[in-house]
Amino acid sequence: MAGVWILAEEHREVLELLHVGRGIADGLGTSLSALTLQAREEADECIACGADEVLLLPPLAEDQSLDAYAGVIADEARKEQPRVFLVAGTSRGRDLAARVAARLDAGLCSQCTALEIDDTREGILMKRLIYGGAAVQSLRCTTRPAMATIPPRTFDPAPAREGRTGQVRQLPHPQPSPVRIVERRVRERETRDLADARVVVAVGRGFAAEDDLGLARELAEVLGGEIGCTRPLSEEMHWLPDQACIGLSGVQVKPELYLGIGISGQIQHLTGVRGAKVIAAVNQDENAPIFGAADLGMVGDLYQVLPALVREMRKQS
Amino acid sequence: MPTIVACFKWVIDEAYIRAGPSGEVDLSSVSWKLSDYDRNAIEEAVRLRDEHGGTVIAATVGAPGATKGIKDALSRGPDRACVAADEGFRDLEPSQTAALLAAMVSGPIGAYDLVLCGEGSSDLYAQQVGPRLAEKLGIPCVCFAQKVSLEGRRVIVERRVEEGVEVLEAPLPALVTVLPDINSPRIPGVRDTLMASKKPVETLSAGDLPPVPAARTETVELRTARLERTCERFGAEPAEIVRFVDALRRRNVLT
Ligand SMILES: Cc1cc2nc3c(=O)[nH]c(=O)nc-3n(C[C@H](O)[C@H](O)[C@H](O)COP(=O)(O)OP(=O)(O)OC[C@H]3O[C@@H](n4cnc5c(N)ncnc54)[C@H](O)[C@@H]3O)c2cc1C
Repeated sequence: MAGVWILAEEHREVLELLHVGRGIADGLGTSLSALTLQAREEADECIACGADEVLLLPPLAEDQSLDAYAGVIADEARKEQPRVFLVAGTSRGRDLAARVAARLDAGLCSQCTALEIDDTREGILMKRLIYGGAAVQSLRCTTRPAMATIPPRTFDPAPAREGRTGQVRQLPHPQPSPVRIVERRVRERETRDLADARVVVAVGRGFAAEDDLGLARELAEVLGGEIGCTRPLSEEMHWLPDQACIGLSGVQVKPELYLGIGISGQIQHLTGVRGAKVIAAVNQDENAPIFGAADLGMVGDLYQVLPALVREMRKQS
Repeated sequence: MPTIVACFKWVIDEAYIRAGPSGEVDLSSVSWKLSDYDRNAIEEAVRLRDEHGGTVIAATVGAPGATKGIKDALSRGPDRACVAADEGFRDLEPSQTAALLAAMVSGPIGAYDLVLCGEGSSDLYAQQVGPRLAEKLGIPCVCFAQKVSLEGRRVIVERRVEEGVEVLEAPLPALVTVLPDINSPRIPGVRDTLMASKKPVETLSAGDLPPVPAARTETVELRTARLERTCERFGAEPAEIVRFVDALRRRNVLT
C-alpha cells in the first residue's frame, strides 16, 4: 500500500494531515497511510479519520531526538514508493522532512499553505510564500514522493467516520542518532490561542520597555482580545512567549480585528495577518509600511494614543 | 582549534519587490543583501572562533557578480571565503544548493569541524539547506539553535521546539542551523570593510565541482501576494481618536 503518506507528532496535526491526505488520496485514486508516534490505541482513531493503513513508529529512547527516524522512514519509502508525503511543519517535523527528502533525493515544498491534484492527475501542485511573504510560489515536485511540510493549523482536522477499516503495521526500530538529547525544558504553554482570537492587539518594537506593554494589555482587555507581537519582541527581547509571534515564522491569525501598535509592517509580519477582517495600526511614522496594508491607520505616538483610545472606548461602551 | 564553515546566501531584498500590473513579481528595482539569518550564522562562527581559536571560512554558491556579498560576509569577521560562482548556479533550489555546498565543503574546503547555516534564507525560507547539507556530508545536524557551544570534540546546542527547549549534543564534525536570537550580528564599520578586501577568496567555477543535480521541484507560477486594504488615515488628536473608534464600531469589530 503506498499512495499518500502523512507524518505528524501531535494528535491535532495527525488529524489535520489525515484530512488533507484523504482528499489527495481520493483525488489520485490511491490509499492513505499515517506514520505516527502515537500509542497503538490511537491507530483506530487514525483509521476512523481516514487512514487506510497506520505505520507505527517505535518509541525512541529517552535521549533520542526525532531525527533518529530519518533512516527508518527513508528505507520504508524506498520499499513502498509513496507518491506524496506530507509532514506536519513543526520545528522537528521540518528538520526530519528535509533529512528524509535528502536521503530520498526528493523535492520538498516547505511550509505549503495550499495543495491540489495537478492537471496530469499524477501529482500535486503546491503553494507557498516566498520573499518573506511578498510572493506566492506554485510548485510541483519532479520526484516521487512529492514531499511537503504543512504548518500546523493550516487545515481543519479530519472528522471520524463509522465503519472504516484499515491495517496497522509496526515499523522497525531506528538506529540511534549521534545527536543526543541531554536536557528538555518544557515551558508552560500559554493557554489562550491567538489563532482563534476574535481580536488581536499586536505589539512591536515601538514599545520602549517591557512594562509599557501594560498599555496594550489594557487596550486588549477593553477590546476582549489577545496580545500578539512581532518577532523581535518574542525572539530578541523575550518580552512575550514564542507562540505570541505573528507572521511567516510565527502564527497566522484571522481575527475580526487586528490592531498593530508600534509595528513597522514588514512583509514577514503582515503575512500572518492576511486573514484579518479589519487591520488597524498605530505608528508614529507616517511612512511606515503598515499603513499601506491597514484599513484604518492612526499616525501618532502610541504612548499618547493608547491611553486616549482606552478612555474613548470605555466611554462609548 | 576548530575550522568553522559559515554558509551564506546573497539574496534579493524582499522589501523592494513590487507587484506588476497583473500581479506578477516585479524585480526591476530590487537591491541585494546578505540573507538575514546568515548574518547570525557568520556572527556565531566568528564568536566561537574568538573563544576557541581556529578559522572561519565563509562559503557560498550562486550566480557570478555577487562580489559585494563576499565582501559583506568577510567584513563580519571570517578569515577567508570560498565561493562557487557560475551562471548555472542562479535560482538553485535547496536540494541543488545543498549538493553543491556539500561538494565544496568535502572537496576544496577540506577539513572542517563545524558547519553553521541560518535557519532559512530570507528569499526562499525553505529551511532545507542546512539539514540536506548535513545528510549529504553524512554528519549529525541540529536545527533551530538559540545557543551553541563547543566542548572538546562535541557541540552542545540549545534548540527551540514547540513545547520549549531541547539541549542536544553531537560529536564533531556537525552542522547547526541558527535562529536569529542566537546573537546580534555586528554592523561592519569602514575598517572592517577595508580589511575584508584583503582577505583571501577562493573562487570555484562550475568545472571545479560535480555537475549541478537536476532540480527536484519546478516553479509553475510566481505571483505577488496581495494585501488590499482601504488605507484610511487618522491623526492622534482627540477628535481623531473619536473618529477612529467610530470607524471600528461601524465595521462591527467592537463588542
Ligand atoms: C525569514 C524571516 C522571517 C521573519 N518572520 C517574522 C515573523 O514571523 N513575524 C515578525 O513579526 N517578523 C518576522 N521577521 C522580522 C521582520 O522582517 C521584521 O524585522 C519585524 O517584523 C519588525 O518588527 P517591528 O515592526 O516590531 O519592529 P520595527 O521594524 O523596528 O518597527 C518599529 C516601529 O515602531 C514605530 N514606533 C516607534 N516608536 C513609536 C511610538 N512611540 N509610537 C508609535 N510607533 C512607534 C516605528 O515607527 C517603527 O515603524 C522575519 C524576518 C525574516 C528575514
